[in-house]
Amino acid sequence: MAFELREGIFAIDEMRNVSIKIGKVIEEAEEWAEEMGPTPKPGIIELRKWDMKLLERYEPFYAPVQDFCNLCTMGPCDLSQNKKGACGIDLKTAKARLVTIACCIGAASHGGHARHLLDHLIEELGEDYPIDLGGNVNVEAPIIRTVVGIRPRTLGDLREAMEWAERELMRVLHATHIGNEESYLDYESKAMHISMVDHVVMEIADIAQIVAYNMPKAEPNVPLTDTGFGIVDKNKPVIVVVGHNVLYSKPILDYLEEMGRLDDFEIAGLCCTAHDMTRVSGGRAKIFGPISYQLRVIRSGIPDVMISDEQCIRADLLQACKAMGIPLIATSDAAARGLPDASDWPVEKIVNALVSGELPGVFLPVPEKVGQVAPLVAEAIFKKHGGNRKYRFFANDEELWNEINKCTQCMSCVFTCPHNLRIDQGMAHAQKTKDLSKLAKLEEQCIACGKCEQACPKNIKIINVIMASNFDRLYNKKGKMRVGRGPIQDTEIRNVGQPIVMGQIPGVIAAVGCVNYPDEAKSLREILEEFVKRRYIVVTSGCHAMTLGMITDEEGQTLYEKTPGDFDAGGLANVGSCVANSHIAGAAIKIANIFAMRPLRGNYAEIADYVLNRVGAVGFSWGPYSHKAAAIATGFNRLGVPVVVGPHGAKYRRAYLGKYFKKEKWWVYDIKTRSKVPIEPAPDALLVAVETKEEAIVQLARLCIRPNDTSLGRQIKLTHYLELSQKYLGKLPDDWHLFVRSEADLPLKMKDELLHILESEYGWKIDWDKKKILEGPIRKYDAGFNPTIVEEVYEKYAGEKPPQ
Amino acid sequence: MAVKKEDKFPVARRYQIADVQVSREATAVKPQVVVNLIKKAKHPVLITGGQLLKDEKLVEIAVKFYEKGIPIIATGGSSKPLIEKGVKPQSVVFTLHQVTQFLLDEEWKGFDGKGNYDLVLFMGFLPYYLSRMLSALKHFSKITTVALEEFYQPHAKFSFTNLTANKDMYYSMLEEIVNNL
Repeated sequence: MAFELREGIFAIDEMRNVSIKIGKVIEEAEEWAEEMGPTPKPGIIELRKWDMKLLERYEPFYAPVQDFCNLCTMGPCDLSQNKKGACGIDLKTAKARLVTIACCIGAASHGGHARHLLDHLIEELGEDYPIDLGGNVNVEAPIIRTVVGIRPRTLGDLREAMEWAERELMRVLHATHIGNEESYLDYESKAMHISMVDHVVMEIADIAQIVAYNMPKAEPNVPLTDTGFGIVDKNKPVIVVVGHNVLYSKPILDYLEEMGRLDDFEIAGLCCTAHDMTRVSGGRAKIFGPISYQLRVIRSGIPDVMISDEQCIRADLLQACKAMGIPLIATSDAAARGLPDASDWPVEKIVNALVSGELPGVFLPVPEKVGQVAPLVAEAIFKKHGGNRKYRFFANDEELWNEINKCTQCMSCVFTCPHNLRIDQGMAHAQKTKDLSKLAKLEEQCIACGKCEQACPKNIKIINVIMASNFDRLYNKKGKMRVGRGPIQDTEIRNVGQPIVMGQIPGVIAAVGCVNYPDEAKSLREILEEFVKRRYIVVTSGCHAMTLGMITDEEGQTLYEKTPGDFDAGGLANVGSCVANSHIAGAAIKIANIFAMRPLRGNYAEIADYVLNRVGAVGFSWGPYSHKAAAIATGFNRLGVPVVVGPHGAKYRRAYLGKYFKKEKWWVYDIKTRSKVPIEPAPDALLVAVETKEEAIVQLARLCIRPNDTSLGRQIKLTHYLELSQKYLGKLPDDWHLFVRSEADLPLKMKDELLHILESEYGWKIDWDKKKILEGPIRKYDAGFNPTIVEEVYEKYAGEKPPQ
Repeated sequence: MAVKKEDKFPVARRYQIADVQVSREATAVKPQVVVNLIKKAKHPVLITGGQLLKDEKLVEIAVKFYEKGIPIIATGGSSKPLIEKGVKPQSVVFTLHQVTQFLLDEEWKGFDGKGNYDLVLFMGFLPYYLSRMLSALKHFSKITTVALEEFYQPHAKFSFTNLTANKDMYYSMLEEIVNNL
């Protein structure tokens, strides 16, 4: 209950045993005119109905990696052929539970990051520190508005969303305990719920760091920053940061800037901390590469000190650094790495311990101290070797060849490699011909996990052999990445909202995620370049964004250098690190709000329904491997955005795949005609793994098709889909006719040919005088078509109950 | 040097040492067994994968399967080289992931409308990608799966043994199948 106290003097008399508690004081300026929607701060159940709509159409597909369960002491249990375990859980439900747990881990990682940043920044800047994302962003925090139902104006306001997220994480994790859910569909609903939470916490983290650290605020023309091994000046002390939380690395920049010594050091990063270092430094920090570059960088001997924080970092980082004599400073309590806590030690003591080699590393969770210690250690180590670093994978060629000659082609490495790379063939070829080219080729595909070295009975340093074989190319690799821009501007959404919803911009391709690519990394560029050239909007983030910054063409240019950074047709917008993925989901939400005026506040199902039916956006993760990627993808799925993953993505065990032949599942309510109408299967999958880049390209174009496309929009989308299918699959796709509603949907150049095919192969009736389709399509095109699959949305806009 | 027996027909070695399940592992089969399986099947199909884009010999073999009356579902872009050689695949656009989802549905009539397939042959896939699909089919369907791959696939019902050390043997085993159909 709320009482409103107006201005004036008032007295409360004769009240005994009454306590008055003042909760949050709401100032007039903070009021938000938008009416509260049906599901603010939803619990597990509130959006279950929406999930079931999706799961009915996009049936979960399970590909067990294990067919047993050993999570409790009644087991281990054999669940093969969908048998039940001692607790009663069957294989499908057990896999759904595992996926839910993976999504919880992903959400907790982003959430832990967000909470840590938020508490730290509030302590530093105060609760009232304003959220200002620049003049072009008035709909700030679109995910928080839609899910939590609040409009955060200060850092302190973000806490409310954070507290809700933490509560939901506890609830969903609780549901994964033995003896809870027995329906795999309910587990999927929970996985979707916690993945929506993941999107909220990513938004919290990125908004907090953008406003507090003055990162770029929705700027399309952010500077380019240097990437690759070749950009590091090895004649300076080199500080390398790795991980995802810039909170610990930023003080290094601050300290060196304060001392006027920034130019005396090289600061380069790996993974998302590198992203965010470039965002806080205006491009002065550099990027070594994505997360798969860890062993490459460490074993190259270039770092003089390593700073680790959290997430996706090797679990043997200390061991790897120790072997190379590189001191490690572990900073995040999520990864203390068994090191002594040096928080209370004087700076000098920490530096001495690390430089002397007395300790291989320290745990130092005090950002300001990290800022002082890291440069001192790097400088002292640098002085020891004087720029003449000892290691370059091998001290000399003889050492390299000694390793290669040890190989007996037993193939133990091949059978443990995630990609089954034919290391044996590379070694054999080198032994016979002294030609390293086959091994060098492997460097472009290798994720440098190092499993091969453990499997090798001869203890060959296989990673070093592969890296040394491609040494010149790797060591001199240079590129450019556009610094993460943060959110998409409201004005950009205004410009592209209509063409996206109507279909004239054929789609938005969001390339995000990790580096477990099935092929050479350059395939990522090849895929995205196809869409940039065809004037789709391409957005990127995380390791995909970094990889793109390292692949140059014949002219020595990366895709960033050839493409504008706008969120517009033909643009390539890098939003930033993992947590900046929230701006991609946020852009889809903002289209519903800014273009279509759909209210956001606590109104998730309506917005997701809008996105599913109208916004031709598709997520793309060519090399996913983390739990965070699982949560990000599943969060997009709940929002109605399909995601295409590379072949390793099949190991997430679960996909959401619709069936074109289940005609009863493809329907919508049309608010205009007040009827339930059958629709084309578009999009027909929410999560699908592809095997090759050719297949990825065609699927991405295919999944951009939406029921609400106008004729012109559908014509444009079909033109690309058909052209790409002919180019990469050798013929028209099998299902193109399903997407044709009238002759106006047909690509102009192929119209006659396609009408003939419709008549001869599919039995459609054509009026050849008018070149008009008379009979055949699943439904006719209607310019006022207003689709929804949510009964409440239908009722809201039609003013009556939906038809049966 | 004498050729050992196991060199002639190598032992089945999982494509990935850690891809372990408790349920049955594929029976490693010689070509003639595959021939017999195909001859006995009522509705067989060959699904080809993206590795055909890198291996012309596999394209050649797939064409021979097609010429012997085995229909082809082409995935991963494998349709392009096959179509160039006159093959008309039943499907070109659906991924193996989607095709597997369809196979799991007993109501599916197949791409040819003749009902779901009873014997599915797989050729030309990334081993780890195929492995997951074979796992799904093993646990949730009764379809007989046969992996005609260079790597032994433990989750198929039947699989070639591991032939990574001898690609010629792999090709000759494939040839032996198509020659005896």
